[in-house]
Amino acid sequence: MSSLLARAVRTGIRSPLSSRLHQPMAAIRFQSTEAKAAATATEEYDVVIVGGGIAGSALACALASNKASSTLKIALIEAFDLSNHIKWSPRPDQYSNRVSSLTPKSVSFLKKIGVWSELDSSRVAACEGMQVWDGVSGARITFDATDVDGVQSSFLHQVFSGNIPTPPGVNNSTNQENLDGSKEASPLAWMTENLHVQYGLQKQLVGHQARGVKLDVFEKTKVQGITTEQGESAQPQGDWPAVQLDNGKTLVTRLLVGADGVNSPVRSFAKIESLGWDYSQFGLVGTLQIDPSTSTAPGQGKGIAWQRFLPTGPIAMLPLNNGYASLVWSTTPKIAQDLKKLPARDFCALVNAAFSASPAELEYLYKNIGPNGEPLVDFLKEIEWRTSVHDQEASQTMIRGGSSSQGDAKPPRVVDVQENSRAPFPLRMRNSSSYVEDRVVLVGDAAHTVHPLAGQGLNQGLADVECLARVIETSLLSGSDIGNIHSLTPYSSERFLPNLAMLGTVDKLSKLYNTDFGPVVWARSLGLTAVDKMGPIKNEIMRFAMGLEEPSKRS
Amino acid sequence: MSARIFTRTNPSVLKQCLTRTGATPSLARSAVPCASLFTFRSPLEAPTGKLYEGHIPISPLQRTILAVGSAFTALANPLRGDMVAALGETTSGIFLNRIRDQMLQDPEGRRILRERPVITSETMQLDTLRQLPDGTFGREYVRFLDDQQVSPDTREPVHYVDSEELAYVMQRYRETHDFYHTLTGLPVTVDGEIALKWFEMAQTGLPMTMLSSFFGPLRLSSEERERLFNVYVPWALENGSTGKLLMNVRWEEWMEKPVEDVQRELGVRPCPEV
Ligand SMILES: Cc1cc2nc3c(=O)[nH]c(=O)nc-3n(C[C@H](O)[C@H](O)[C@H](O)COP(=O)(O)OP(=O)(O)OC[C@H]3O[C@@H](n4cnc5c(N)ncnc54)[C@H](O)[C@@H]3O)c2cc1C
Repeated sequence: MSSLLARAVRTGIRSPLSSRLHQPMAAIRFQSTEAKAAATATEEYDVVIVGGGIAGSALACALASNKASSTLKIALIEAFDLSNHIKWSPRPDQYSNRVSSLTPKSVSFLKKIGVWSELDSSRVAACEGMQVWDGVSGARITFDATDVDGVQSSFLHQVFSGNIPTPPGVNNSTNQENLDGSKEASPLAWMTENLHVQYGLQKQLVGHQARGVKLDVFEKTKVQGITTEQGESAQPQGDWPAVQLDNGKTLVTRLLVGADGVNSPVRSFAKIESLGWDYSQFGLVGTLQIDPSTSTAPGQGKGIAWQRFLPTGPIAMLPLNNGYASLVWSTTPKIAQDLKKLPARDFCALVNAAFSASPAELEYLYKNIGPNGEPLVDFLKEIEWRTSVHDQEASQTMIRGGSSSQGDAKPPRVVDVQENSRAPFPLRMRNSSSYVEDRVVLVGDAAHTVHPLAGQGLNQGLADVECLARVIETSLLSGSDIGNIHSLTPYSSERFLPNLAMLGTVDKLSKLYNTDFGPVVWARSLGLTAVDKMGPIKNEIMRFAMGLEEPSKRS
Repeated sequence: MSARIFTRTNPSVLKQCLTRTGATPSLARSAVPCASLFTFRSPLEAPTGKLYEGHIPISPLQRTILAVGSAFTALANPLRGDMVAALGETTSGIFLNRIRDQMLQDPEGRRILRERPVITSETMQLDTLRQLPDGTFGREYVRFLDDQQVSPDTREPVHYVDSEELAYVMQRYRETHDFYHTLTGLPVTVDGEIALKWFEMAQTGLPMTMLSSFFGPLRLSSEERERLFNVYVPWALENGSTGKLLMNVRWEEWMEKPVEDVQRELGVRPCPEV
């Protein structure tokens, strides 16, 4: 790291980019290939993005859609097939198991880069409310869009200049109506499939290519190695990173972007340390079919995200449209594997129980999943019995004049799980010791990975991308070298602390709820109940989670 | 000494306990009309409806007064069954929960919770048990009842537990107490009961068992105390923690087995030196 820094100081800022920009890049490329002979096909770029996940693709899109950066020569390298995403034409009764919640901030960014309007509104679900509760004590906090004071009338107006996110295809006049009169507020978040966002991104990228943006997409291509072009110091690009692809090509680049996920090869190349730990948890995802009429929440629970913290990890059900929902169930690796194999009928019963039964009741059921996923007891009968005990006690409590838990809304019943949609993902928390080096920058999961309990990972990545695109634009406009560490520092100083704060908060939440130890449960329940009753604090939390405000800026 | 723990109902439990405990005169005075706490809906919002037969809904403040009062009475006399019972009920919310959770992990425990069997002289058919051969669990159990001149029907009903299922757990806990004596061979004496409390504490962690196991010894002679701590307590801790949780035992179905077999299967050695 220090050697890279030293080199940065030694080499200083190169020939002003503005002049280089007017110089056709092809000429340089031509020179370069000529000099190196045909044996190694070396090409030169301004920006090479490794990783065509959502973060990498969004960065390519942001750079291409911005006037100043649209003249850059950009490469996007992805190991998997990207063109497949454009052909994505899902059946209305099928949902991919990877669904993310997009905060208003992320949606506003996706609008800005033209992606949001590419999306199919029938496959984007507005999340209007959240019900989060403690599976041990029952303490609950509810959020709904109308809780965020002033968000619609002033805050969003200020921040987004009236640019309140609307689902794609919904015309703005409807939204305007909401703003002016009715109580309906901007949703807390939008749920959609990661594939769907990818579809929009790839469509935009193809559009940019057609417009003549110098954007090369290398799909089904793996990065095999990255080196610094040493020993050719006579060449201006002497210490630029050189990316070796498995198709034999080498790309030399002024700025190398690592958008290559949690095991980032770019991060290893830059010798940036990544600190953190693996939770001994897996997140089991799946697509659920629900019966909305069974929810006791207003409006049959439409647009409500449900999350219950169990001692083994949180279980969350995120709303999709048309009676579908997406599941993220964080639990122990063993239970996650067992849940994946359980027959659909028993699995659904267990998901329903996980939203209502006590941890001890669930534990008994987990224990009774056989080695091949077969239930060793009659799950339906066991769950039915426990439900009847709870219902009986609840109805008696009601007769007695009620207790606080009586008003708690129930999530809809899960009636089916889409075939082959259950998949476990290991959960980790990572943060890179730095996001930038000379000529190297990290975005998205390559820079930081977070527990999915707050649904923030992808949103953080998009915030990184938005910031980086802005920082690159500023460098270009001021004529500085976009790859120079000094040009990149503003990105790092803007993103590092907020990401760290989010990681820390989510990590602490995960640890706080990962126990059923009495005093901890008592304290956290007291805290949760208190927060639920305190409007201002709740607002702060929601703004933070919606990407409207970052805590580091407040202190 | 044949006084029994968990014996008879005393209707003016609270009043008595509060006035008897000289240690809390002001509390006692302020709570003299305390019986009325149960009959009038106080500003403290004592809930009104009953969850089960015998249920006495009480408010948190009433619960605290009752707990403190019964604690002092129980300490003063660990053989005051009603007070020990009231203390157990008022303080045992989360601990009963824990026992219920332990029962839910066990197929037998679940069967008990599901079927909620009740132990009375009728359900146990004591006369039939008397016909069993000597040394069987059932024969020794009735012998114990007859010696103590008690019957399963003379037990303190559950009043203050605010959950139907937990009230049943508490009731079952009381109803099966006599089987513990048959299983361990411990007598109904102060030190015998204290030893059983230690045993139960090792098994369940109920606070009332803790309280009386810590303070009970104050009332023993030095000889009794020595035996308690050198023999009974080590035995209780070892056997209580390694044996099967006795709340998960369907005692009713074990009556014909020899006592030794029952002890072996449940992993409980008889208490030495009794
Ligand atoms: C169970 C679960 C639920 C989640 N839910 C949410 C949610 O609700 N909201 C939210 O905001 N976030 C959520 N996340 C987090 C979110 O999915 C990630 O943060 C996000 O997908 C990361 O995007 P990325 O583009 O940074 O990285 P990735 O999606 O990991 O993309 C990295 C890309 O780099 C490519 N690559 C890697 N190495 C090479 C190489 N050598 N050569 C070529 N290509 C390479 C990979 O093929 C991959 O496509 C969730 C995560 C999990 C596990």
